[in-house]
Amino acid sequence: MIAFIKKYQISIASILLVIFSLHLSLTADKRETGRRSLIKDVIHTAAAPVERLALGTYNTAVGAVSGYVLLVNVNKENSALKDALTALMEENNRMREKALEAGRLKEILDFKEAIPFRTTAAAVVALSADMWGASAVIDKGASHGIRKDMAVISRSGAAGRVIEAGMNSSTVLLSTDLRSAIDVISQRGRIKGIAEGNGSGGMILKYVRQFDDVQVGDLAVTSGLTGIFPKGLPVGEVVKIEKGRDNFFRLIELKPAVDMKRLEEVLVVTDPGFIPGG
Amino acid sequence: MKDFLIFIPATIVYIAVKSTIFASFPVPDLPLIMIFYLGYTRPSLEGALLCFVVGYIEDALAGGVTGSTSFALIFIFLCAYFLSRKVQFTSALIKGLAAFFLTLLKGALVYAVLSPFSIGLSFRGFALLQALFTGLAAPYAIHLLSRLKFLTGPRAFAG
Repeated sequence: MIAFIKKYQISIASILLVIFSLHLSLTADKRETGRRSLIKDVIHTAAAPVERLALGTYNTAVGAVSGYVLLVNVNKENSALKDALTALMEENNRMREKALEAGRLKEILDFKEAIPFRTTAAAVVALSADMWGASAVIDKGASHGIRKDMAVISRSGAAGRVIEAGMNSSTVLLSTDLRSAIDVISQRGRIKGIAEGNGSGGMILKYVRQFDDVQVGDLAVTSGLTGIFPKGLPVGEVVKIEKGRDNFFRLIELKPAVDMKRLEEVLVVTDPGFIPGG
Repeated sequence: MKDFLIFIPATIVYIAVKSTIFASFPVPDLPLIMIFYLGYTRPSLEGALLCFVVGYIEDALAGGVTGSTSFALIFIFLCAYFLSRKVQFTSALIKGLAAFFLTLLKGALVYAVLSPFSIGLSFRGFALLQALFTGLAAPYAIHLLSRLKFLTGPRAFAG
């Protein structure tokens, strides 16, 4: 008997333990008293530090990872926000440009309504890039009633004249171009002269005699005698007066009334009274 | 008794980690792997008693019905003990397959014990996944256990 038990001690012990475990599990509900048993208390007390350590480590790791992930997400969000900000700034600039353009157009409209001759508004779409040339392209052409030699003016004064009229755009010779010559009269002394472009952004007032009453600061305006420019439009301000080499005429420099580099909206004089040839 | 010094703390740590970090993840059943290893390498009275204690700890910490896991683990221990006479658990594949099926068996046994209590159990999906992970982890865990022989003496873990 003992030998039998010794030979099969593992199997016997295991079977007994199986039966005991089964008994424990099947009678578990009958033993429920609401209070944990002493053995379970001991097991839980032993496991508590390990559980706390595991949970603490896990929470620290999750916090670090989520912090990194959040940072990554923050970087993405930051990048997206920067893109959105750039887009908004661009739109803001466009809006500001539109507002400024609206302001300029209103001014030119007011000017247009104030002057006693017929005009067509046009926008400058290009300026010449030549070293000595000064011309501009406007967005109106023959289809809009523009013709060669029509005067081009702005609120500041005479800007130039049309030298070539295409179907939908025209080329304007600016008053500072070497080829430009505008018949002018000084506003104060009523001295006549010709304002020619010097090719470098300025103008020269020619054929003013040494004894003519012209001073620095005098304003040269269109004389209206040629029939191209209406009378009285500012052309330039006298900034320098020198004695000419021939000792007869003066060498007078004019500062153009119109800032050619900031020319954006202009009026083309389309009044029949000022169109050469009718 | 030296087995108790390794298996019981390992079980406590396993249950603590499983119930906190991997609460709803089917992690490999480390106590089962340990019991299976014990069953085919060093079956003894201590081993049988250790199965009961490990199962009891698992039930106590996991909140299961007391005795259900003990019942299953002792059964697993007996299966491993009897199988070791017929099968040589030498290759990783055999160890993995054995651990896989024994995990399924454990799940079935616990299910059979708990079903009279009308406890809601989703046996198939979770049990299959746990069996799969246990089968995959078993060769590595058993290899690790065999390297711990210096802690329990030269005659132990002679796998």
